[in-house]
This record gives sequence, C-alpha cells and structure tokens, in this order.
Amino acid sequence: MALRLVTRRLGNKLSPILASTSKLHSHATSFGFKEVNEEEKSRLVGDVFTSVAVNYDTMNDLMSAGLHRLWKDRLVSKLNPFPGMKHLDVAGGTGDVAFRILETINRLRQRGLRQVLEDTLEEETRIYVCDINPNMLNVGKQRALERGLGGEDRSLIWIEGDAENLSFENNSMDGYTIAFGIRNVTHIEKVLTEAHRVLKRGGRFLCLELSHVDIPIFKELYDLYSFSVIPAIGELVAGDRHSYQYLVESIRRFPPQEKFASMIVDAGFQNVEYENLVGGVVSIHSGLKI
Amino acid sequence: MYRTAAKRVFLVTRRFHNNSNVRFQFPPPQAFIGSSRLSTSQSQPFCNEQPPLNQGPNFPDSSSSSSSSTSSSSTWSASSTAEDARHHETPRHRAQYQDEQARVLSASLPHVIKLGWTEAALIAGTREVDLSPSIIGSFPRKEAALVEFFMDDCLQRLIDRIDSDEGLKNMSPSDCLSKLIRIRLEMQAPFISKWPQALSIQAQPINVPTSFKQRAMLIDEICHAAGDNASDIDWYVKRTVLGGIYSTTEIYMLTDSTPEFRDTWAFLDARVKDAFDLKKTIQEAQYLAEAIGAGMGGSLDGFVRKVFNR
Repeated sequence: MALRLVTRRLGNKLSPILASTSKLHSHATSFGFKEVNEEEKSRLVGDVFTSVAVNYDTMNDLMSAGLHRLWKDRLVSKLNPFPGMKHLDVAGGTGDVAFRILETINRLRQRGLRQVLEDTLEEETRIYVCDINPNMLNVGKQRALERGLGGEDRSLIWIEGDAENLSFENNSMDGYTIAFGIRNVTHIEKVLTEAHRVLKRGGRFLCLELSHVDIPIFKELYDLYSFSVIPAIGELVAGDRHSYQYLVESIRRFPPQEKFASMIVDAGFQNVEYENLVGGVVSIHSGLKI
Repeated sequence: MYRTAAKRVFLVTRRFHNNSNVRFQFPPPQAFIGSSRLSTSQSQPFCNEQPPLNQGPNFPDSSSSSSSSTSSSSTWSASSTAEDARHHETPRHRAQYQDEQARVLSASLPHVIKLGWTEAALIAGTREVDLSPSIIGSFPRKEAALVEFFMDDCLQRLIDRIDSDEGLKNMSPSDCLSKLIRIRLEMQAPFISKWPQALSIQAQPINVPTSFKQRAMLIDEICHAAGDNASDIDWYVKRTVLGGIYSTTEIYMLTDSTPEFRDTWAFLDARVKDAFDLKKTIQEAQYLAEAIGAGMGGSLDGFVRKVFNR
C-alpha cells in the first residue's frame, strides 16, 4: 500500500499520463514491454489479433518452422480425449486444437471404444471453441467448413466469450485447453479460477504456452531469433511488425514455468505438472480438478 | 516390507531403488523420455519430499509405484518453492489425488472381465465413481496403471492371508510354497480370459521396470512366508527358481480348461517338487565332490610322500 502511494506520488511528478492512470484506479499491466492500463491492454490485444487473424496460420508455420503442429498434437495426446467428451478450448479461434481433438475422438470411435458408451450414457461429443475475438472465430469456422467438420455433426460449437468470465455453468466440462492464449489475457488468475469453476471433478486443465528457455547458448540464439527474425517475418508476410514485436515481448513477460505452475496450484488444481518442449520454447502445464 | 536379507540388499542398493520407488525424489530417469518427440525434460530437484531414511519401499502404496519413473514431464510440487502455507497443503492434495486414482482403478476392475485391460474399462470405472473420464489422461501409462494396481492389490491380499492364516506356518516348505502360489494365482482366475492382455501390457518395455519389481516383491513375500531367511547366494538362487515356477505356472494356467484349474495345480506341485529334488541333487553332488576331493587329496598326498621318500 505504502509502495503504491509512493509510486503514485512519483508518477504524479513524472508524467501526467501515469497520473491519469492512477485516477482511473486501474492497475498497470504489461503489453509487451510497455506498461499500459488494464482496459487498454484488452483493446490492444484485440487489435493485434484482428490484425493477424488472416495470416495467423501462415505466420505460425513460418515462425515455428511447422513445429506448432507437433506441439498441438502433443497437447491433444496429453489430454487423452474420449467419445462423449465435453471440452472447452479457450482462445482457440482458429480451431487448431479443437479439430485435433475431434479427429482423435473420431478415430477412437472407429476403433470400437463405442461398446463402453453403449452401456453408459449416449452422450454427444461437444467441443466448445471460445475466443474473445470474432475475427479469429471466423477464420476457424471457415476452416471447419473446408475440413467438412462444420455441417452434419454438431460437435463443434463456436462461442465468442471472455476467458476471464466464461458463460458456462459450474462443473460442466471434462477438459479445458488454452493454447497460446493465456499470455494475452489481462488477469491470468481470473482465467485459471474460471477454468477451475467450469471443470467437472476429474476434469483436466491443459495449457500450451510459449515459455522461457534456460539452456545457455540456445537461449541466446532463441532471443536473437525472436527479436530480429520474427518481427521481420511479420513485416514481410503479414505487413505488421508491431503485432509480432508484441508477440515476442509478451513471451518474455509471461511468468516462468515454475511461477505459472504455482499460480495453477493457487487456483485450486491438483497434480500440477509441466513439460517443456524444445528446451522450454513452449511448455505444457497440466492440472486436475478433484 | 522386505525383510531380513531383502532389507540388507535393499540398503546397499537403496540409491538406485529410490529412483523408482519414491515419487519426486529425483528427476525421472532420462532414459524414458523416448516417447515424447522434441521434449527435453528439465531436471528439477524436489528434495524436500524425501521419506525418512529407515523406511522400506513404499509398498503397498500403489500409486507411488505405478506412477514411478516413466513420466517424461517434470512434476511440480509446491513445496519446492518453500512457502509455508503450501507445505501443509500439498502432501494432503497429493494423497487426495492418489485416493481418487485408487478409487477409479478399483472401480474399473469389475469392467475388465468384459472390456479387457483397456481405457474402455477405465472410462467405465470413472463413470461409476462419478468423476470425469478426463482424469485417465493424468494416469501415467493408463492401462499399465490398471494392471499394476491389480498386482499390488493381489499382493496386499496375499500378505493379509499370510498374516492371518495360521495353518500355513505348520506346513512343510514345499507345501507352503505351492499353496501360496496357488492362492495368488487363484486371485487372477476371474480375469483369466483377459490375462494374456495384462501380460502383454506388463511386457511392454516401458512397463517392464515396474512389473519386474512387482514380481520380485511377490516372490520375496512368498519365499519369506515359506520360512526362508537365508542371506547368501542362495537367496538369489531360491528367488530365481521360484520366479521361474511362478511364471511358468501362470502361463500354464492360461490354457488350462480343466474345472477349477486342476491341471495347473498338479503342474505346480510337480514343479515345486522338482525344485526341491534339484536342491537335493545339487547337495548330493556337492557332498560327492567333497568326498572325491578328499579321496583324491589323500591319495595325492600319499603319492607325493612316496616320491620324495624314495
């Protein structure tokens, strides 16, 4: 409290912009390396994703050299989907993770996991894709049609919504995934609490996120790559340097693996663990609600 | 749980055993990462979780052995960040998780007869205990967890039986051995049609360390109950032979269609008898060799004396 007073006083002296921030009673949060207030962050993030939506997949392939497909495969294999599952994929606008889950379930169906379902409830698989940005959702819907997943079975449901304030009931989901999304939200804690709220007992939370590299030489190379190459690719391909500058900066701002794991524990999850892929470029955190 | 000799051997090799017995104590062996492409498992020291040193392996805590050593992820525990409030919470949470896991697994067992040692059985089990089947995704090695749970459960029942059944103590060692093996194998009789599947799961390279350990513990328990307290090289010989008898009988049982597995038990008795005969034969051979040695030594001695006297 005292600290905040001090900073407020300092802020008053230093710049009128900061002073107006404190008048709004809004906490400063980070947008990349910049400090912005909370309302502004969600607007800025929204702008970024509106801007990149069209080229989103091309850019992902270029930046990760196609590896993001393997990462998402790994996420889904860790999730271990099953027929009749109610799943919520947050910040999955382009449907990458949702399609993979659905395809895995369809494959299981064919291999005759059906017999167990005949005995128990005839439940329909439902995969809810929730994204705050309608432009990203449109990309996803378009791709679902192209893949022939849109029409006849109504397994995929597209919902525009905020990860910090989900429109689903308590204890309604078997699984919750968030891939490359939690970095962009304003309050990570709120997102985690919401995830815990909507999951059933025994339901799992899985988070795929760009994370921190700790291997000495690899770290230097990775930093070089992210700060020099990625914004350049962004400018060339998507014509938007700033969005990709934000991307690499926001990765550095995201809490490291251990810290994030402790945040997941604080949200009430159990059996929290994480797995680093490619030396920590991305990591998959998982938690269980009991 | 290991006693006398076993305990001694265990103390010597504790350093290596701990790795597979106690969760969180050391980072999982890197050799098992193979399953995940691109993954570089980080080694985090989770040393706060060390059990007291004089403790044996954590049997029958089924989840500790079934969740051992094969996860390629770095398991995170709150206590490594040393915040006091969480020190108390985390072990309780973990216990709760393990309870839930055990509940799911035991509820799944009745479904095995129909569905086999499969995820389908596990899903049916979770539905029964009113949990989301999602939880199966958090079990390391899914079906293997079920088989291992069953093995642990059977061993526990066997130990209870040994402790409670006074009649066993008055039997001759050979009768006692075959009786115990029979009791143990009868436990898996209801699952006999699906047992080959369980054996194939246990034989998968990733599951071998745990299944081997479970078998070793079982054999040790049987040996001990039959009154074996040896701690020399004999210890290994006995357990190897007994392990062989147990496994061959187990396999014989798979194709035995006689009522109540009569042939199997006859086969078992014959093998145990063979083993004891073999032991006798070896002893006799030993005595014979000693006698021959003594005789030879005597005559050689006489011969040398003769040569040098002349």
